[in-house]
Amino acid sequence: MRILIVEDETHLREQLRDRLRANGYVVDVAADGEEGLHYGEQYPLDLAVIDIGLPKLSGIELIRRLRSSEKHFPILILTARGNWQDKVEGLETGADDYLVKPFRFEELQARLNALLRRASGWPKAVLDCGPISLDTRSQSVSVGGRPVALTAFEYRVLECLMLHAGQVVSKADLTENIYDQDFDRDSNVLEVFIGRLRRKLDPDNELRPIETLRGRGYRFSPDVKSG
Amino acid sequence: MRSLHSRLLLAASLMLAGFLGATGLALDKAFRVSAEASMQDRLQSYIYALLAATDEDRRGRMIPPEDLPEPRFSKLDSGLYALVAGEDGTPIWHSASLTGRDLAIVDPQAPGARYFHRRRLAGMELYVINYGVAWVDHAGTEGWYTFVVAEDASAFEAEIEGFRTTLWGWLGAMAVALLLAQGLILRWGLRPLRTVAADLQRIEQGRVERLDGTYPKELAGLTSNINSLIEHRSAAQIRYRNSLDDLAHSLKTPLAILQSFFEEGADKCGQDRTTEREQVMRMDEIIRHQLQRAAVSGRAALAPPVPVAPVVERLVHSLDKVYRDKQVQVRLNLDPQGVFHGDEADLMEVLGNVLDNAYKYSDGRVRITARSDVNPEGRHALEISVEDDGRGIEAEKIDAVLQRGRRMDETVPGHGIGLSIANEIIKVYAGKLDIGSSDLGGAVVRIRFGG
Repeated sequence: MRILIVEDETHLREQLRDRLRANGYVVDVAADGEEGLHYGEQYPLDLAVIDIGLPKLSGIELIRRLRSSEKHFPILILTARGNWQDKVEGLETGADDYLVKPFRFEELQARLNALLRRASGWPKAVLDCGPISLDTRSQSVSVGGRPVALTAFEYRVLECLMLHAGQVVSKADLTENIYDQDFDRDSNVLEVFIGRLRRKLDPDNELRPIETLRGRGYRFSPDVKSG
Repeated sequence: MRSLHSRLLLAASLMLAGFLGATGLALDKAFRVSAEASMQDRLQSYIYALLAATDEDRRGRMIPPEDLPEPRFSKLDSGLYALVAGEDGTPIWHSASLTGRDLAIVDPQAPGARYFHRRRLAGMELYVINYGVAWVDHAGTEGWYTFVVAEDASAFEAEIEGFRTTLWGWLGAMAVALLLAQGLILRWGLRPLRTVAADLQRIEQGRVERLDGTYPKELAGLTSNINSLIEHRSAAQIRYRNSLDDLAHSLKTPLAILQSFFEEGADKCGQDRTTEREQVMRMDEIIRHQLQRAAVSGRAALAPPVPVAPVVERLVHSLDKVYRDKQVQVRLNLDPQGVFHGDEADLMEVLGNVLDNAYKYSDGRVRITARSDVNPEGRHALEISVEDDGRGIEAEKIDAVLQRGRRMDETVPGHGIGLSIANEIIKVYAGKLDIGSSDLGGAVVRIRFGG
């Protein structure tokens, strides 16, 4: 999952970047509205966190431009004063949620998860695909009620596949989602993650939740979803 | 007497009535005085004519007049009478017109003396003149006589009455004409004031933004000042809110960093940073509360009323987005006439906080009702109630919920600072916020402005 943070305050921007990266997101950062617009228009983002009070281009204007250039990824606005006119203006312009500063990181995390899930068409916080259940709030996974321990990267891969259950997710997209741009993309680390996931979720090789489509990518099986 | 027009009209009418009345009385008096003077002159001239007609006998004694200067003296009861009396007042001669009448009109006078007066005799008003004359005969004996002429005053009175009728008729007609003219002048003269009043009303109704008409130069100063006041007020309000925004931004961003820092500290070192985090949250609440209070603009003069329904609809639309997972069913029952007399940002802040609370604590159903009415004193009142089907707020916690953020040592779990902020804003507008139980099962927040 690739997230853009547009925040002019250096400390806050870096804190958010580090903590989101630690949780397995791919994070781009921008310090002003214009830079944010550049990232928003040029990179395949899954979500953007935008501060309303930005230099060069205000947060509201940035959202307006992104929406008018057909960018539909979810946007969460950060507002310092937290007055309702700002919030309503932001939401009407195209933002999907807001958070008032200061906030708890857990709160931000929960909002981001909810937005990502909703954007994939899942109405609830818990994604159920047959016996496999993924809770986006607690970031926990269980199979048949039995908890499965996953690393942050494994979790991100599974979340991405489950959010797009039934659809083919290309290797490039998956890599994009879990690696920052300066990572080495040629490694076969993704295949290693998929292999580990398969073993952890389906040790007896009965469910076969993740299909490999040669040359195209991976697909979380809709059969598992329906079953 | 609250209207300028009626004040001026009343004052001018009183002045006019006083002036015309005094003029009438003075003219009436002057006419009467001059008429009486001319009556005296005429009677005196009769005396002289009688004297001229008086003759003497061979011994030089007086023979009363025979050939009278005025035919009315010879006609019985003609209203003009003449009489000559001796020194003791005994009549020695009277005109034919006085025959058979006994009128006590003689007041003996010394020679050369004259006595003119009016008196009432035998049912008649008479003007009477007595004139004393000394008559010396050839033997040198001097006799004193009094010549008297009297005239009935009714002709005189009729003349006076005729004059009065004409005088007061004209004065009355003039008064009516002047009153009409004055009313028209006042209407015309005060029209710019009425125009300004109507234009101000249109500003208050939100139909125009400034006074754009052409006004006379006496009012131009006032209207241009009102215009700059309106512009200055909104500019000042915007500037003020911008500074508050800057202040909020510069205070809250460091707080957000601290918050994140303490959370990370807890993550990395396993230290318990709960106290620090709580203090940050408390600082945040105080800042939010105080900044929000400072930002309330209150009811401003010449501000157009804000329709309530669009504000509620915008908020509901926004909150639907934020609480999409909850799929909250909102029932709106909004009076289209409902308007808020104040600043739109303040209304949005009140309703935003109350609605957010309802969405947050509801189990899926929210009902919003807005009603407007006019109280017996003619003031507009607005009542908005927001109900939800959540757990509600316990009666003993209501005060604490509404006080939250005002004192440093206050924390009420469950409900945010929003209701307390809404309550503060409502108080600035002299409104009222009540919390009760809704028949939906949860809380109802009732807000009332005006009335």
